[in-house]
Amino acid sequence: MGKEELIASNPLRMLGLDNKTEDGRQSLGLIMARAGLGKTAILVQIALDSMLRGNRVLHVAIGETIDKTRDRYDDILAKMIEDLSEETESDLSRRRMIMTFKENVFSRAMLEERLKDLIEQDVFKPDCLIIDGYDFDGNGRQAMEDLKQLMAELGISVIWFSAVSHRNDPRVSADGVPAPCHTIDDLFEVVLLINPQDSVMKLDILRCAYCELEPGTTLLLDPSTMLIKKS
Amino acid sequence: MAKDLSKVRNIGISAHIDSGKTTLTERILFYTDRIHAIHEVRGKDGVGAKMDSMELEKERGITIQSAATYASWKDVEINIIDTPGHVDFTIEVERALRVLDGAILVLCSVGGVQSQSITVSRQMARYRVPRIAFVNKCDRTGANPTRVTEQLRDKLELNAHMMQLPIGLEGDFEGIVDLITMKAIYFDGDSGEILREEEIPADMAAEAEEKREALLEEISMFSEELMESLLEGGDIDPQLIYDAVRRGTLALEFTPVFVGSAYKNKGIQPLLDAVSSFLPCPTDVVNHALDLDNNEKEFPVTNDPDDKLIMLAFKLEDGRYGQLTYVRTYQGVLKKGDTVFNSRTGKKVKIGRLVRMHADEMEEIVSCGPGDIVALFGVDCASGDTFTADGISASMSSMHIPDPVISLAVIPVDNMAQNNMSKALNRFTKEDPTFRTYVDHETGETIISGMGELHLDVYIERMKREYSAAVDVGAPQVAYRETITLQAPFDYIHKKQTGGSGQYGRVAGYLEPLDEGEYEFVDEIVGGVIPREFIPSCDKGFQKSMAKGSLCGAAITGIRAVINDGNSHSVDSSDVAFQLAAQGAFKEAYMKASPVIMEPIMKVAVEGPTEFQGAVMGSLNQRRGMIIGTLEEGNYTVVEAEVPLSEMFGYSTTLRSLTQGKAEFTMEFATFKQVPKSVSEELVKKYQEERKND
Repeated sequence: MGKEELIASNPLRMLGLDNKTEDGRQSLGLIMARAGLGKTAILVQIALDSMLRGNRVLHVAIGETIDKTRDRYDDILAKMIEDLSEETESDLSRRRMIMTFKENVFSRAMLEERLKDLIEQDVFKPDCLIIDGYDFDGNGRQAMEDLKQLMAELGISVIWFSAVSHRNDPRVSADGVPAPCHTIDDLFEVVLLINPQDSVMKLDILRCAYCELEPGTTLLLDPSTMLIKKS
Repeated sequence: MAKDLSKVRNIGISAHIDSGKTTLTERILFYTDRIHAIHEVRGKDGVGAKMDSMELEKERGITIQSAATYASWKDVEINIIDTPGHVDFTIEVERALRVLDGAILVLCSVGGVQSQSITVSRQMARYRVPRIAFVNKCDRTGANPTRVTEQLRDKLELNAHMMQLPIGLEGDFEGIVDLITMKAIYFDGDSGEILREEEIPADMAAEAEEKREALLEEISMFSEELMESLLEGGDIDPQLIYDAVRRGTLALEFTPVFVGSAYKNKGIQPLLDAVSSFLPCPTDVVNHALDLDNNEKEFPVTNDPDDKLIMLAFKLEDGRYGQLTYVRTYQGVLKKGDTVFNSRTGKKVKIGRLVRMHADEMEEIVSCGPGDIVALFGVDCASGDTFTADGISASMSSMHIPDPVISLAVIPVDNMAQNNMSKALNRFTKEDPTFRTYVDHETGETIISGMGELHLDVYIERMKREYSAAVDVGAPQVAYRETITLQAPFDYIHKKQTGGSGQYGRVAGYLEPLDEGEYEFVDEIVGGVIPREFIPSCDKGFQKSMAKGSLCGAAITGIRAVINDGNSHSVDSSDVAFQLAAQGAFKEAYMKASPVIMEPIMKVAVEGPTEFQGAVMGSLNQRRGMIIGTLEEGNYTVVEAEVPLSEMFGYSTTLRSLTQGKAEFTMEFATFKQVPKSVSEELVKKYQEERKND
């Protein structure tokens, strides 16, 4: 599939998030799953889609290396686009930056300092932030509201997070968003949950403020490639 | 009697610059009785460490050439290659890794896993070299081997676990606790040569017990017997633990970590025990050779002394004893006086003298067998050549050799310097495949090219010191390349009739971009429109055209030249005529094929205190760098970027002033990329002006 076709047919279009962020309004998205089910693969697809649409993405990986994160992008991009041209590849890599933090080092203050550095030095001004590995157990509503405020200050349109849910924790919000995000789910415009059922990997849409869904449509994950597809 | 190969270890010692590799090697040689006094790397006694045999290395306090040496520890023979820590000399590191079976990764307990360690680790992974880690300098202020072990896990993604605990740190560093024997070891005597075993200090007993349990749990996955023994409870046989660690290490799934201070003579003997216990012997590793009689099909070497000889020349040195060729034997036996074949040249070579090297001293030997690393005298060959016995046509798998990325002109000051320079260059190009030299026919200048500024600096210094070749040096130039982006046809007639026999040749076909490789010639001529004998002439003509592109004068690469039509003349066609026709055809098609200039892009890693991160990123950005990512580690940060080499000249000075000398950087070649339009225009303009002035 070529680049243009891919943008148009990407199942992520149905979330409607990209249309709603173009007017300067900030949005938050969240991918949840139990450990090891492929949250990062979804985040990378969201990031690549954003990059293909011309945005700049800062991928913040907490507890991960630069090389490993970069390899994720290379792998998924190769699966998404056949015959990837050198020009597209080079253009995409210019639209991405990876920032990695050790688990115990990441803080909102440090992220703010780094982001301001990047913007002031004219190195990189992100439109979209991916934060993979954020500690929702240790940070509550206030921290999330702080981040939303930071987005507004720095002109970032959207932040996507990943969060780990636990099989033994039965707590869920009214929309079905599991712990530890069940008490702050109202802050997110979109919440997706990877839901493995027998041999099928479903991607349940738990919250979606701007979805343009045809009735009965669900998102699925191809278990061999982890690429998102429509049912 | 055949040698017991299970008692042989071929190891490398690799690490970041200034981690103390050379000091460590010096201590190993001392404890294995190869030397009888200890000299420091930048010692005041003017002798210098044993492994830094080149004067320049002694002066700069860095290891440039990897001298090979031999030692024996208890009943095990250890061949050691001391490898350089600077990334510009990576070919040395890679060569060493190619012939070695295992390695010690030396890390500074203060600096931890630095950028060069990451590069070296990547190289070790490429050659599947099992390694053990040694966290050195535990006596230094800020020493923290636990943090370094965590970095081995986080940054290098190794399953690293401490096998020892330090007793005290920094100025209080006294000895180590061995987590297998559960004993404390102290190093007494003037040079730490007397080992005193004691009970674990009471205040460390609980920690040692806890760390041992974690270690056993981790390594039990490599041994069912150990796992059963753990489940049963009671005493664990230490041999089970040694076996499990060895198994994990050989499978590259476990990295045991040892601690010490080479400078303070602590921890070296247990490290030598670890080399014997955990690193592989030659038969633990499967090496492959290529069968030259069977389409270069890979086959495993046997390590059997009764099989026909196969050995690889991995390093040449021109020292005070004449030319030395370091070889590793993979199978068969080589005896003094034997005749062997160089499988690249097909020439017979008689082996006059055979020596075992100990840095710059040597020991005469009469034979060597599988797994041995020895040196040969007076053998004319290039680095990377394979020697075999009569009746076997094999080559050891070729090494990955990167193309040079930087060049500069060297101009001898007088005739004597000219002669000496030629000798030096002849030697260096044989020693080091990444160092190349040629004469620019337009300017008549001798050009040398290599992997970085420091790489070339060292050779220029060696030219001056070892060969008394006084040379002036031009400014460093980036090794640009030209290539095409479109297919373009040609149909060219070369015709010259000026009385007597003339010249005639017509070639038609097309040029097109080649995805992989530098050049390909395709002959699609049917019906003999170009006679068979002139087809190679066309190929030669195209290749000649590729030496210098017309955009900026750089070599052209990545082209497939296809000929599918032509004409000849029964009298006037000749080899020269078709060569010239092909050159004309190339010129005709080249500009139509939308040529572009490519430049070397370097992977740069800058490491320093967090407070300078913004300034560092800004400086890389200004140099057309693309920031790939950053790594935050509390007070320390690493910025990784891809930056054009042309923009990196003088960066060390910039970085020093930006960061008060607190940050450092390494760079290695990453890829070639098309230059931006503005840079391309500038390069084309500059080249045209130079041509006008010539």
